[in-house]
Amino acid sequence: MHELAIATSLVESLLELVKKQSASKVLEVHLSVGKLRVLSIDQLKFSYEILSKGTALEGSLLDVEETPGYARCTNCHYAEKLEIDDLSFHFSLPQMTCPQCGANLILEGGDELLITRVRMLAPSDGSAVPTNELV
Amino acid sequence: MVAVGISLAKPVEVVTSAEGEVFDVELEVNILRENERLAEENKRRLESKGVHAVDVMGSVGSGKTSLIKSMISQLKKDLRIAVIEGDVTTTIDSDIISSEGVPTVQVNTGKECHLDANLIRKALDRIPLDRLDLIFIENVGNLICPAEFPLGSDRRLVVISVTEGPYMVVKHPMMFLDAKVVAINKIDVAAAMGVDPNKLSADVARLNPKAATVHTSCRNGTGINDVIEKLGLKNR
Repeated sequence: MHELAIATSLVESLLELVKKQSASKVLEVHLSVGKLRVLSIDQLKFSYEILSKGTALEGSLLDVEETPGYARCTNCHYAEKLEIDDLSFHFSLPQMTCPQCGANLILEGGDELLITRVRMLAPSDGSAVPTNELV
Repeated sequence: MVAVGISLAKPVEVVTSAEGEVFDVELEVNILRENERLAEENKRRLESKGVHAVDVMGSVGSGKTSLIKSMISQLKKDLRIAVIEGDVTTTIDSDIISSEGVPTVQVNTGKECHLDANLIRKALDRIPLDRLDLIFIENVGNLICPAEFPLGSDRRLVVISVTEGPYMVVKHPMMFLDAKVVAINKIDVAAAMGVDPNKLSADVARLNPKAATVHTSCRNGTGINDVIEKLGLKNR
């Protein structure tokens, strides 16, 4: 539901970066998003496409790498990767209980929300970079 | 929203950078860092004034406003309280709270399903922090999105009720992981709903053993004092 808010934040961050790097255009944006973030990647991409129109980001590729979360037992050595639509996701996450010893599980990772790499184009004539205002 | 200033988490690695050329920048920028920065700022601002803030989150219609109102009525003789009310639209909640005679700021998010730290920053500008001990921040009714947006409060209260059925906790685990107190509200109608509140408490205890769970009814006053105590708001 909050993909638009996150896409807005993303676009603002990127436009700031474009300015700092004096780039003329952004070609690719790579994100790392934790699987435990309650976020629809399709909706995020759709919001990004709309928000980037008329800016240096327009037409750029938004690539999202999803990173897993882990549930780790606070008592024994049990640890498992939490995969969406996997048993782990439907058992471990709602219960947060170790299937081996019954102790409490804690979450590790899976909450990343990072811009990891941006591919940009430097201005060909070396002139000043256009300032891109948010639409 | 405020423009985001970027400072790179690790040194910028520019692969190639000449006129008209393609270059890559590798970085580690948290997309929500602006919200997190503002939340930290709100937290420091509240701490410097000695004001505690409770983020009240929970499902739509679970009784967040009624619980806040009941707590205020118990606490207002000892503490100076204000309320920030978040809703998509209307001032219904802040009108209800104002009847307790405490300052109230209504924040309408318009289209967003959660409050964010920037909205709270603006709301704090309209509250006399020097003359306060405690702020209740009522988030938008929603068990999903508010968990992702810290506001700068120093404790979280999550409110659910038996009228939402028996599976509210297990279906929304993330919401309960950072709660200090979970109120299971409307227990006066638990039997009529055929929902066992003890089962909901057990679900919370499994997810987050550190959270205190309290059965409440704002209608007959059950558990209100207990919530206040478990939130650590007594004897200040």
